[in-house]
Amino acid sequence: MRTRHLLTLMLTAAAGTASAAYSGPKVSLTFLHGFTGADRPVMERLISQFNTSHPNIQVRAQAQPWGTTWQQLPSLVASGRAPDVVVINEDQITNFIARGAVSPLTAAELKSAGINTASFYGPLFKTADYEGKSYGLPVSSVAYVMFYNKDLMKKAGLDPNKPPRTREELLKATQACTVDKSGKKAGQAGFDAKNLDTWGISLYNNWVGSRAAYAAILQNGGALTDKSGNAAFDSPQAVEAVQFLVDLVQKHGVARPNSTEEAELAAFSQGKVCFFPSGQWYLDRFEQQKMNFGVAFMPRVGTKQDAAWGGSSHLTLPKQRANYDKNKRLAALEFMNWLTQPAQNLTWTSTGSLPTQAGVAKNAKFASAPISGVFAKLGNIYATSGVPWMGQVLTPFDNAWANAYSGKKSVKQALADGVSEANKQIVQARKSFQ
Amino acid sequence: MTPSTHTSAPHVRKRGGNTVEPYLYLLPFAIFFALFVIYPVGYGFFVSLHRWDLLADTRPFVGFEYYKNLFTPGTPQAEFFWNSMKNTVFFTAVSVPLLVFTSLGLALLLYRPIIGRAFFRAVFFLPGILTVSVMGILWRWMFDNQIGMVNAARTEIFGLQPLAFLSVEGLAWVPIIIGTVWWTIGFNMTLYLAALGNISQSYYEAAELDGASAWAKFRFITWPLLAPITLFVVVTTALASFQLFGQSLVITAGGPNRSTQSTIQYITEEAFTNNQFSSASAMAFMFGLVMLIFTFLQFRIMARDARGEN
Repeated sequence: MRTRHLLTLMLTAAAGTASAAYSGPKVSLTFLHGFTGADRPVMERLISQFNTSHPNIQVRAQAQPWGTTWQQLPSLVASGRAPDVVVINEDQITNFIARGAVSPLTAAELKSAGINTASFYGPLFKTADYEGKSYGLPVSSVAYVMFYNKDLMKKAGLDPNKPPRTREELLKATQACTVDKSGKKAGQAGFDAKNLDTWGISLYNNWVGSRAAYAAILQNGGALTDKSGNAAFDSPQAVEAVQFLVDLVQKHGVARPNSTEEAELAAFSQGKVCFFPSGQWYLDRFEQQKMNFGVAFMPRVGTKQDAAWGGSSHLTLPKQRANYDKNKRLAALEFMNWLTQPAQNLTWTSTGSLPTQAGVAKNAKFASAPISGVFAKLGNIYATSGVPWMGQVLTPFDNAWANAYSGKKSVKQALADGVSEANKQIVQARKSFQ
Repeated sequence: MTPSTHTSAPHVRKRGGNTVEPYLYLLPFAIFFALFVIYPVGYGFFVSLHRWDLLADTRPFVGFEYYKNLFTPGTPQAEFFWNSMKNTVFFTAVSVPLLVFTSLGLALLLYRPIIGRAFFRAVFFLPGILTVSVMGILWRWMFDNQIGMVNAARTEIFGLQPLAFLSVEGLAWVPIIIGTVWWTIGFNMTLYLAALGNISQSYYEAAELDGASAWAKFRFITWPLLAPITLFVVVTTALASFQLFGQSLVITAGGPNRSTQSTIQYITEEAFTNNQFSSASAMAFMFGLVMLIFTFLQFRIMARDARGEN
């Protein structure tokens, strides 16, 4: 009880400076989200905290699988029965915005609700922007990071506290880690890349694996789509960046060919591979295994900037029928602001989410946590959003990566084929938005 | 045209009687049928003729544009839809004979009073109760390029090179087809076991008196008397195979290069990844039409056989 009082006090203090908290008549809000796993009880605890500290707003939450929400939301909005607040993920959000399912959050609204958009990581907040307007507040965030095995690095003569940060360092480190079954190192005469005992880096063929290519392209100054929304991941910068990753397999022999996510995950857990780039959601698993590992930001294999892929969930306000209660919208903004405040975001990180704002990342709780290795660059995490037809871009992109990685096509050919497939589908998709 | 000759039961009508009553019995079903079959199918067809989005202000009528896409070379719809049809037909053509003959063979073995008969029947039936995701993950692991049990056996026991089952076109079908047979064989086997139980032993006794060989008994007694159940098994298995979805989705995600992507998976991608609901509806109708023609032909050919040999 005491802690709750204290918390409420702190919150009022924090919110009091910028905003007048919702003071209208008592309203009840419906809140639809997809946190159905181990994160569900955390969300439920937060909501009951909110309900206790806000006697004139009652939030009733409903958790259901994300996919169900994507299928239901259009008909709920069209029939004027949309929930008051809905959580939408980064890969869907631009589509729902462009189709008019979500209503923009005006600068005046954000201001009067006390929401400080600048406190969030820039690219993370902009995930829910479209054509100059903001549509959501980030409540949860995941990212592609690089796990590294400290024991194996030591064995290979590398400093386990200095994970590679550049293309040259990565190549050197992965070569040092790679030994074939007869004990020959990568690059030595007679080295057999087909029979590796330990190796440098995990690359693999599914959509998670293709996020390494995504990061490399952004780092090199490329992008998935151009300004007009057409697929453009076959630019010279993109080809150059992806070629470096493919060379790790085909030229340098420091990654296994034809591998799968499961196989690489098992290999990293068994201490057979030094660097395992993947979703930060594996953190829990490696911690439970008591592995001696660290987490680093994706090394900069491109030349322009730091970048990695990230996924995020955003609190949004769906479009409502004309006579929608204005108080509900005010109360919903209040709820959104509260849920994304540093105190709540800190609680939320216990689910494995990354902090959504620098203020939370600085918390002492993370000082010795392995994940804090990426915190300095959380502002360089980019979600796949921004065009309404992300699905049409991502499926061909993932296939292009699989073809390049497996050597079935040259990098240039694979990316060009992917772009041409994506653009054909975009032509069709554009008609839906005329 | 109705495929079976046994549908016209004698029409009994109460003299001077109540013609409303039978319809009242039919009414509850008719309501549900109209509500959950006729209406959605009609609505789906309506959607396929418009550029449809629930959220859009206008839903213009486009006629058969989305059907035309399927026959216009160069469109992704034409390319991927027919590619997925080719995959689905390939899967059906390979898996149906396997599923029919293997289940018949198992049923013949397990019909005989061998030791542990109940145990083996259970062993073959039980995989069928797993969900497709469990079954899919299991076979994906078994055939993993690097850590799979199959490749471990190839390298450790036989000294062969591992095969990249999950990333080579063609090979990727192996785990899907073997997994499907393992997963669904028990149901067909149980049908065959039941049918075998209905064959009178007197036929076999008579055949034995005439000195018939085991093959002759199978060829001239068992196989013809199983014809109706074989028709049933072939048709249901073929329809189930046409609806391939979960197995390839979980095991290969339709890859590599869409080489194992099933038609239903592509329709789902078009609808819910690409948000092209009208296009997906048009594909669903085209797919339904192909299945309808296929089933009709199958009934024509096999029903004639079943009748002829009865």
